[in-house]
Amino acid sequence: MEFKQVVGTRRTTRFFEPNKPVERAKIQAILEAANRCSRSVNADYAKAVVCYRDEMDPEVLEAMKTPTTTVQYDLAPVAIYWFGDTEFHVGAEGRLKHLFDLGALAPTHGWSHSYVEEVAYPQVVEGIAKDPVLGPWMVNVETGLAMCQAMLAAVDEGLGVALSAYNFALGKEILKVPDTWIPMWVMLVGYSAEGDAGGQRPRNPLSANYFEGQVGNPFNEDPAVTQQLRDAGMIQESMEGREAQRRQQIRELADRFGLPL
Amino acid sequence: MSVELQQHERVRAWFAGAHHDELPEADQQRYLDLLDGFLARIGKDPDELVAFCFLRKKDTGERFLSQKRRVEVNEMIDGWVVANGWTEKDAVRMANVVRGFLTHNGVLIQGKVWTKG
Repeated sequence: MEFKQVVGTRRTTRFFEPNKPVERAKIQAILEAANRCSRSVNADYAKAVVCYRDEMDPEVLEAMKTPTTTVQYDLAPVAIYWFGDTEFHVGAEGRLKHLFDLGALAPTHGWSHSYVEEVAYPQVVEGIAKDPVLGPWMVNVETGLAMCQAMLAAVDEGLGVALSAYNFALGKEILKVPDTWIPMWVMLVGYSAEGDAGGQRPRNPLSANYFEGQVGNPFNEDPAVTQQLRDAGMIQESMEGREAQRRQQIRELADRFGLPL
Repeated sequence: MSVELQQHERVRAWFAGAHHDELPEADQQRYLDLLDGFLARIGKDPDELVAFCFLRKKDTGERFLSQKRRVEVNEMIDGWVVANGWTEKDAVRMANVVRGFLTHNGVLIQGKVWTKG
């Protein structure tokens, strides 16, 4: 699938084909996409535990639910639990020097072994890691990037995905998660049972949130570019105006899975 | 009872929210009969059933959706399903009709999902 099509096709899947297993090769592609994401100090912020619904104790599965983690949790054959590692600074000095030796970090931009030893590591990286606000902020941002890339990879593999909350305390115990990992979302993965899920979710125009030069000076879209993005599949048919069709689809899915309406 | 039930504000909220009011009359009646049967079994009216799912915090008096009460309601639903002899997909589907009523009245209550095809 073309990249723009992948971005446009991604949406939260809430109805998965419960009995269509996800190929392990596709899970590997998802994890590799996360592994290849942008990440500061080349640190392994993102950690993940892949669980297969049918291998989990049904009582544990039930207990992992929260009020917002509902039927999609029962339907998805795979759940990838994401975590962010607060120990990201460990080994950072060596990694930065290695990046310098490889030429990824260059003296043209002020990098050197001594800069890493005297400034970048002790004053910046370690400083951030030990700060109670900045440390978790960094972990959250960087892990979010990995998760986003993983989601897009899943869509590229023809899968549906949904990020969801879960019972963090129980998850920590069951999945044997170290104290230094911050729980993120669980990423539910499976084949979609709802086609295009009623269309693309509504979004504001770019000018509502994006600016040029300074806040208040909106970034206005060029209609010709918008059309190109539409043609490429990044902007797709919205759910708006298709409510009756979607309602009918939900009724059919509810009937199939015996769900409440 | 069914007509009276259909006019009940909470039932109307359910029917409007789920668009059951757009279904053929026989389908609407089926939903009403199921809810009616459940309410009769537990001896509550629609308001009482919804109210049962909420408690008030002892210290602040704040109303909250009680997990314990929802577990109790799920047990009542399970008992009703067994008493009616429903099994397999019917057991899931009928139980979830009652949960649908609760959902549209602010009670998020989770039940089973039929995944066997």
